[in-house]
Amino acid sequence: RHLPAVSLSAAPAAGGRRLGEGGEGAEGAAVGVREGGAAAVPAGPPSPPDPDDEEAPEELSFGAAAAAAQSERQLAGEAARRHRELLKEKRRRRQELFAEQKRRKLLPEALLQELAQPGHRSEKQSEGHVLKQVKQDKARGARSKGNYTAMHLKDQSLTGLHQQTAKDFVYSHLYGPGTNRTTNEFFSLANKKDPVKKAAVQFVDKSWGLEKKQKATKFKKHWIAMKM
Amino acid sequence: MAANGGGTRLAIGCEDGSVKLFQVVPGGIQFEKNLDRQKGRVLCLSWHPLGTHIAAGSIDFIRVLDVRSGRTVQRIMVNYHVSKPKKRECVVWSIAFLSDGTVVSSDSFGRVQFWDWERGTLLESHTVSTSAVLSLAVSEKEDSIVVGTSTGATYQFQLLPVKAGGQEKRWVRTKPFQYHTHDVRAVAHSPTALISGGLDAQLVIRPLMEKVQRKGYEAVLRKVTFPHRCLVSCARKARLLLFQFSQHLELWRLGSTNETGKDGEVLNVCRMPEHLLQLKSKGPEHIYCSCVSPCGSWVAYCTASRFHIYRVQHEGDSVSVKKVPGVPKLLLPAYQLQCASDSGRLFVASDRGSVHVLQLLEPGGCKHLHTLRPPAGTAEAVYLLASSADGNWLAAVSGDWEIHVYSLKHFKHHCAVPMYGCAVSALAIHPATNNLVIAYADQQLFEFSIPEKQYTAWSRTVQNGGLHKAWLERDTPITHIAFNPQNPAHILLHDVYMFCVLDKSLPLPDASTPLFNQSALKQLPEPARQRQLHAFKICKKFQPLLFAELLEENRLVLVERPLADIRAQLPPPVQQQPFGT
Repeated sequence: RHLPAVSLSAAPAAGGRRLGEGGEGAEGAAVGVREGGAAAVPAGPPSPPDPDDEEAPEELSFGAAAAAAQSERQLAGEAARRHRELLKEKRRRRQELFAEQKRRKLLPEALLQELAQPGHRSEKQSEGHVLKQVKQDKARGARSKGNYTAMHLKDQSLTGLHQQTAKDFVYSHLYGPGTNRTTNEFFSLANKKDPVKKAAVQFVDKSWGLEKKQKATKFKKHWIAMKM
Repeated sequence: MAANGGGTRLAIGCEDGSVKLFQVVPGGIQFEKNLDRQKGRVLCLSWHPLGTHIAAGSIDFIRVLDVRSGRTVQRIMVNYHVSKPKKRECVVWSIAFLSDGTVVSSDSFGRVQFWDWERGTLLESHTVSTSAVLSLAVSEKEDSIVVGTSTGATYQFQLLPVKAGGQEKRWVRTKPFQYHTHDVRAVAHSPTALISGGLDAQLVIRPLMEKVQRKGYEAVLRKVTFPHRCLVSCARKARLLLFQFSQHLELWRLGSTNETGKDGEVLNVCRMPEHLLQLKSKGPEHIYCSCVSPCGSWVAYCTASRFHIYRVQHEGDSVSVKKVPGVPKLLLPAYQLQCASDSGRLFVASDRGSVHVLQLLEPGGCKHLHTLRPPAGTAEAVYLLASSADGNWLAAVSGDWEIHVYSLKHFKHHCAVPMYGCAVSALAIHPATNNLVIAYADQQLFEFSIPEKQYTAWSRTVQNGGLHKAWLERDTPITHIAFNPQNPAHILLHDVYMFCVLDKSLPLPDASTPLFNQSALKQLPEPARQRQLHAFKICKKFQPLLFAELLEENRLVLVERPLADIRAQLPPPVQQQPFGT
C-alpha cells in the first residue's frame, strides 16, 4: 500500500519510539494514522488537494490496536516507574547526607550516652523550672574532658540561682565580649620595683602557651622514639 | 528598687519582668500588690514625683505603669533604628521620671534620651559616650541632670532656653568631667554639687561653680577614698591589731625589735608581725563595726543582722577561737562597739540614742547589764563611743550631733556637751584627767572636762585664738584620737594624710607661722628651735594612714593602706585611647 509520505516521516520524530522489526508494518501504520490525524489538527497551511487523501483510512484489526495500546501503556508505565525510582533515589541520598551532617554536628556517641543517663544540668536551663534530682557522679569511670560538673539541685536554693543569673547578666553586659575592657596583664609592677628595673610592659611571659610547649616536647620524644 | 516621693511606698522590679509594690510600715515593709508583668527583666525604676506612675527600664524597651490600675499604659521601644542583622541588645541602665511627663533614660549604647511618655515619642537624644551610661540623677529643681558612664566620665545636662530670655527650653549637655578611672556606678545631685561614686573606690564631690557662694575652700573638688571612720582596733596591752574588712576580720600580732637607732633609721625586726587569725563573716552582709579588747582575748563584730562575740585563747604562739553563745538579741542593730579598758565590759551603740552595756564573763559568756539612754530621748542612733580608762565614764555621740556623757558607776546620765552644729568625727577620754577630747568634721577641736562639766581652759584658748588656716583646710577628718601614757600633755591625732602630736604645754601657732614646721625646725640650732616651737607637730611621712596609736615603751604603731594595692585589685576598666589616632 502506499502510505502518505508525510505521515511516515513524522512518526519517528514525534513518537521517538523504536519500533521492533516485525511489527513495523502494523504499528508503523497505526502510528502513521494517529500521527497523521494529530498532525492534521493544528491546521497547517492548506495543502494542495492530494489525490491520496480521498482514500479511506486503512483498516486495523481490533486485536492489533489493543495490543499496540497495551504495549504503549506498559512502556509509559515503565518510564513513569523509572522516573519515580530516580526521584526516590535522589531523595534517599539527600536524607543520608543530612543525617551524616547532623551526626557530625552533634557530640560524639560516648559523650551523648553519658549525658543522657544521669541528666546533667546546665546553668541556663535550670532557671527555676527543672527541679529533678541529679546524682553526684563521682564513681563514673572514664570521664571525657568536659567543662561541666554534676551537682545536687536541692543543695542550692532557687533564689541563689536567680541571683546568679542576674549577676551573670550584669557581668556579661559590663565585662562580657563586646565591651572594650582592658586588663593590665601585660604590665608588671614587679618589674619596676625590682632592684634591677626592667620595662613595665612584659612583652614575653614564660607562662604563655604552656600546653602547646608541653605537647611539642611530648611529640618530639615520641617522634625520636619512633625513629629509633 | 525605688521609693516614691513621700517615702511611703516602695516599688521593686524583678528578674521576671514584674513590678511589685510594697508599703512602708513602721518596722519594715508590707506587700501591697503586683503590677503588670511583661517579659524582660526590670533593670531600673523611677516614680513620677506625684506617685501616680512608674517608669521601668528593661532590655530594648521602657514602659510606664499606672500605679492605681497596675496596667502598662505606654511601652516605648528604645532599640528602633538599627537594622535586624546588626541589632545588639540595648540595655536601659537607669531611668528618671520628671514632673512634666518627660522620661529620661540612659542605655548601653551611650545615649541619654528624653521621651514624652504620653505620646511615646522621642524628644531628644544625646550620645555622650561609646560605652554604656550606667547611672543618672536629677536635681531637685529638675533643671540639671548628671550621668555617669562606663569610662569614668560624668556629664552634666542642663535645661537651658534656646534663645536668651526665650520661653522654649532644651536639654543641653554642658559639662564633661573625667574624675574616675573605672565605671561610675552611682551619681547623685545635691543643690550645689555633683557627686559620683566609681568602681575605682573613689567618691568625688564636684561643687558647681555657679551655685557656690564663696569661691574659697568650699568650691574645691573633693575626692574621698577611705571611709571616715576607724577600721582598725588596737589591743594595747597584748599588742594586737584587728583589721576590719568588708567580709572578714584579720588579727595580727605586732613584731618587735631589740635595736635602737637615730631619727630616720629603719631598724631590723627580730620577730616578724604574725597573722594570727582570720574570721570570715557568714552571709553576704558587710561587717559594720568590730573591736578587740585591750587584753586581746575578746573579739566582737556585727553586721546588719548578726552580732557575734568570740573568745580568743592565746596558747604560746598559736591562737584558738571559740564563739560566745547566748548573745542577747535586743542588741541589734549595733553601730559601734567599744571594749572597756579593763576588758570586762563591752559597750554597744544602738538606735534611739541607747547604749547597751554587756558584761564579758570569763570562760566565754556575756550578760546584758544595762541600757543607757539620753534623758530627752532621740530618734537618731549612736554612732561613736568613748570610754574612760578608769571605767567610770562613757561618752556617746548620736546622729543629731549631741554628745552625752554617762556615769558607769551609777548607770545614769551625767551631762551633755554643749551643742556644736557639726558632726563629730572622733572622740576620746584622757586616762589621767578625764577630759573628753572632741574632733569635729569641720576640723575644730574641743576639750571638755567631764568631772567639771565644762570646757577646759586650754580649749577656750584654742577657740579664742582660732585654729590655723592650714589645719582647717585639710581634706579628711580626724578619725582617731590617742594619748601618750608618758606625757599627759600630749594628744595624738591623725587623718588620712598626716598624724599630729598636739602638745598642750606649747604655745599655739598664730596665723603667720607655718603650720608644718617640723622639717624646718630640724635644721635649726637648739635655742632658735625653742623660740619657734608650737603645739602642732605634724608628720606627713606615712600616707594613706588608716590608724595611729601610741603603745607602751614609746612605741607608735601606724597602719598605712597603699593605694597601689587597692588599684591592683580593681576590675578591668574600659580601654581608652587618650592620644590622637
